[in-house]
Amino acid sequence: MASETVENCSSHNPLLDIDSSDPSSTVNSDEYLELQFRVFRLAFLLTFFSVGIAGFFWGLKASASLLVGALSGIFYFRLLARGVGRLGTSSKIVGKVQLLVPVLLVLVSSRFPQLDLIPALLGFLLYKPALIIQFLSMP
Amino acid sequence: MDSITTAASVVAAGLAVGLGAIGPGIGQGSAAQGAVEGIARQPEAEGKIRGTLLLSFAFMESLTIYGLVVALVLLFANPFAG
Repeated sequence: MASETVENCSSHNPLLDIDSSDPSSTVNSDEYLELQFRVFRLAFLLTFFSVGIAGFFWGLKASASLLVGALSGIFYFRLLARGVGRLGTSSKIVGKVQLLVPVLLVLVSSRFPQLDLIPALLGFLLYKPALIIQFLSMP
Repeated sequence: MDSITTAASVVAAGLAVGLGAIGPGIGQGSAAQGAVEGIARQPEAEGKIRGTLLLSFAFMESLTIYGLVVALVLLFANPFAG
């Protein structure tokens, strides 16, 4: 019954007719992928500079912690982007799996003496400047 | 770490995560609702809507992460532990 209602609605309302073979949907998904790649590129660039600066001023331990945190942040953002990409197509909610990444990061950096907690957390948050730069540069 | 500090840390960790997740949870739900409605009305703008939704989600979820980090620090790297 519900499927009949949906079929009726989509047959009467041209706005709801989403054809998967429509070339514009590929363009839209390409646009989304391009945004992700731009953010990843910026995040990697920021990571590269921050790790270099941390290694120069605070030593190898802080630099390694920052690198681990930054890679975790990028992985977190990748998981979030995948969840948002699935929203409305194969999933009705955005998953919360990505929240396990900071949990694991804090656990690992508090257990291993080779890592510091504060640089790791600061490194994790390095994806945010990339997002802000991307947000400001959006047309 | 004495028992009062332990108990206070555990209660504070629960409050930090619980209270910190309320606002972003409501915000994410409302943003996702708006985005899905927008995509259904304008499928040609799906890429832009998804991109804006991703950035909004990242900013909103960072508030939850702050609470989570405070809770985890209180539980596993407590600075008040003598």
